[in-house]
Amino acid sequence: MLDQALVAEVLTLARAGGADFSELFVEDSVNTNLRLHQGEVKDAGGGNLFGAGLRLLYGTRVVYAYTNDVTPAGLRDLADQVARARGAAGETDRSGAGGMDFRRVDAQPLYVARQHPLQAAGRDKLALMRRAHGGAAGVGDVKTVDVNYLDRVQRVLVANSEGLWAEDERVWSRLSVTAIAQDGTLRQTGFYGPGAGQGLEFFDEVAPESIGAEAARIANAMLRAGYAPAGKLPVVIGNEFGGVIFHEACGHILETTAVEKNASVFADKLGEKIAHESVSAIDDGTIPGSWGMVTVDDEGMKGERTVLIENGVLKSFMVDRVGSMKTGYARTGSGRRQNYTFAPASRMRSTFIDNGQETPESLIRQVSHGIYARRMGGGSVTPGTGDYNFAVNEAYMIRDGEIAEPLKGASLVGNGAQDLRNIVGVAGDLALGQGMCGSISGSLPTDVGQPHILISEITVGGRA
Amino acid sequence: MTATGEQQLSLPDARAYLLERARERGVTLEVYGQRTNATSIRAFDGDVSEFKLSARQGVALRAVVRGAWGHSFSENLSRPALDRALDMAIENAELVAPEPGAGLQNWPPPPALDLYGEGLSGVTVEQKVGVALDLERAAREADPRMTSVPYGGYQDGDVYGTVANTEGLTREDRQLYAMHMIAPLVSENGQNKMGRDWQFTREFTELDPTRTAISAVEKATELLGAQPAPSGTFPALITGDCLAQLLMLYSGMFSGKMVEEGKSPLAGRLGEQVASPLVTLVDDATLPRGLNSRAFDAEGCPSAPLTLIEAGRLTAFLHNAQTAARAGAQSTGHAARQGLQGTVGVAPSNLILSPGGADAAALASGLTGVRLTGVAGGHAGANPITGDFSLQAEGFWLEGGEVAHPLEVFTVAGNILDLLAGIEAVGSELEDTMYGVSAPAVRVAGLAVGGG
Repeated sequence: MLDQALVAEVLTLARAGGADFSELFVEDSVNTNLRLHQGEVKDAGGGNLFGAGLRLLYGTRVVYAYTNDVTPAGLRDLADQVARARGAAGETDRSGAGGMDFRRVDAQPLYVARQHPLQAAGRDKLALMRRAHGGAAGVGDVKTVDVNYLDRVQRVLVANSEGLWAEDERVWSRLSVTAIAQDGTLRQTGFYGPGAGQGLEFFDEVAPESIGAEAARIANAMLRAGYAPAGKLPVVIGNEFGGVIFHEACGHILETTAVEKNASVFADKLGEKIAHESVSAIDDGTIPGSWGMVTVDDEGMKGERTVLIENGVLKSFMVDRVGSMKTGYARTGSGRRQNYTFAPASRMRSTFIDNGQETPESLIRQVSHGIYARRMGGGSVTPGTGDYNFAVNEAYMIRDGEIAEPLKGASLVGNGAQDLRNIVGVAGDLALGQGMCGSISGSLPTDVGQPHILISEITVGGRA
Repeated sequence: MTATGEQQLSLPDARAYLLERARERGVTLEVYGQRTNATSIRAFDGDVSEFKLSARQGVALRAVVRGAWGHSFSENLSRPALDRALDMAIENAELVAPEPGAGLQNWPPPPALDLYGEGLSGVTVEQKVGVALDLERAAREADPRMTSVPYGGYQDGDVYGTVANTEGLTREDRQLYAMHMIAPLVSENGQNKMGRDWQFTREFTELDPTRTAISAVEKATELLGAQPAPSGTFPALITGDCLAQLLMLYSGMFSGKMVEEGKSPLAGRLGEQVASPLVTLVDDATLPRGLNSRAFDAEGCPSAPLTLIEAGRLTAFLHNAQTAARAGAQSTGHAARQGLQGTVGVAPSNLILSPGGADAAALASGLTGVRLTGVAGGHAGANPITGDFSLQAEGFWLEGGEVAHPLEVFTVAGNILDLLAGIEAVGSELEDTMYGVSAPAVRVAGLAVGGG
């Protein structure tokens, strides 16, 4: 993307104020966003995100600057600004200037898109959307259908003063459907939105019709549901997007971003048993074509598979460069950022609870009075306290080991450190679901995932 | 995608270039441009941990071709990239269904608003760093139970915005903000609690980091010693901060766009009583100190205050030019863009629930129930289409109007319209919030609580 001599000059210039380390991240992204409402194309947009970010480290202190002016003059100016940012406080260069001898990171792409979004015509993307619309429109009481399509192609260059040179192209495609079922004044929504780190060939695997059908199924199932009860109950959580519970309750506080500030309840628990022995959890950047795939991270390191929890014992954190310097743990290829406007931070990739021995049916049979949370919505966590919440999009009462009437308006709240110990059963039907995860370095595509699990007790926020 | 190194135009030059190319091609075009120069500084353990400088600019285009809108954007301001962006907007318009009344206007001039103040040119980097350091130090020194300050810092921005179109409209404005926020963590007997506070201003010299830090620490320590909440439906006092957050989550129900697409629980209810007679709700973009103030909207339409609910009666929806045309109404100046990447939608500016006559003592008087101070998880637990919510909550148990103890994490559930209809008393003190919504505390007869 850029001339090596220019990059070397910028990296060296930036360190003139005495920084220990400099890193340049250049991005050229093209995205497409289409929206179909009631079968008609309502919005068509997209464009070109284009810029560069320069990061300096003085010890573990970070100076970051970015600009859209990715010309030699613009980059030289950026380097000057960054070097000046610490002014007289800058320290002496400790590692010596030296020439830059870039070493290309040898990272074979984990997956190569076969129907590249930049080569596909707008009408082909629309055709996929129309198929998704067809899967939901008029099903049961569905009266309103929205279909969103997005693709994003992000080309990046990461180079740093240690001589690292990494280039990568990331491709993401996603179709999502919101179906609204309505009967008189009753109204419910159903949402389903799978995506992948792939081109349009993903929709050969996951038929657009099935995406619409699933959104419609949820909306219809919930339309005449009563309100969920409130209070502490046993809960069986569905697979796939159900994994958002681990993502919120535990994932975020296993990122060094939280650990390094002592803002994590797990900060000093490495090697300790923090979960029920049936629980093993993994954060994996190496799943080919996955939504959370990381061939190289945004610090130029190859993605890894990181075992976070093994049979209940805390094995690893998710670690980026600064997190590693602050905590002493080895980097795990978890340095990610939404785009050039963010400095990288330790972030999740594809995060999931691994398969256990039970079946979904055997878990449900163990509950005499509780809730089956089949489809989850999103959630959030306060890292300092570990208090989290998430919404349930599709829920049922469980009575005497059987799934009973549908419930709406359920949310689950709790505390990660406590609830992890309450996972008492894990089934063997692991699947991944796709979401956007917001945190300190922006909004990123991440997979959540799990098999069906049974939590012995969790606070349900209903109103019955 | 291209090689780099092509000459980047300035925003006004890019705007002129695009409008000229559009006129040559006979295309009706709107160019929206934004340039932000910003600084953000975080401190940790008495030292600057992060220093961020940014210069970001770009254009967003909206073309009308045969009655259909096409959007695109570009942060690359070289001529070839601008040509590609124009091509993309036109191609996108060709995919989109035509809309009745699609077109651009040359609006009347906007009101004169000073959203820039004295500017930041006289403020040194050391002064900005000083705010971040003072904020963190004041928090650490405020209480022995302080653990750390995981979130917080100083931020400022100098924002130039422009809207122009081929119908002859050209608008420009400059805004400035300086702010800080802090979320300290406190710990006692194994319980961790976080509080937060913030300050937003258009004059750097008005910032008072010590006061913000102490207030945030107090909010955190108040929560220590929390006990499980009971489950059931209880009378509740909702603080202005918390009510503002709920209103922010449901501001979409006033959007003319959500109404026309059948996604607002207020659709078809214009003129009806939708809230307690004590409720009056206004949107005002012209407040000099409002977070979302603007002299004109994303289409260049001038801003003016608008009453949405008057004494409980729904009096207006928010409109941009297109939703207004389809609803047979006038634009209310609420065309909005989420940065450069989105399309043009509808959004409120500064929403204000008008204060009432009850002072703090009168509001709490005799109340045994919940004092709700915050909710979380709104992006998932609040459904803007139905108005239902089920949210993580933070607050206190009140006995006879007095705080008995803070509550462990619990939930509240309900429907926003039921909640607004159930308001029994409205407080007299308006609280401004980081959500761009201001509200006083209110008292409601019953709120569903889920505890342990």
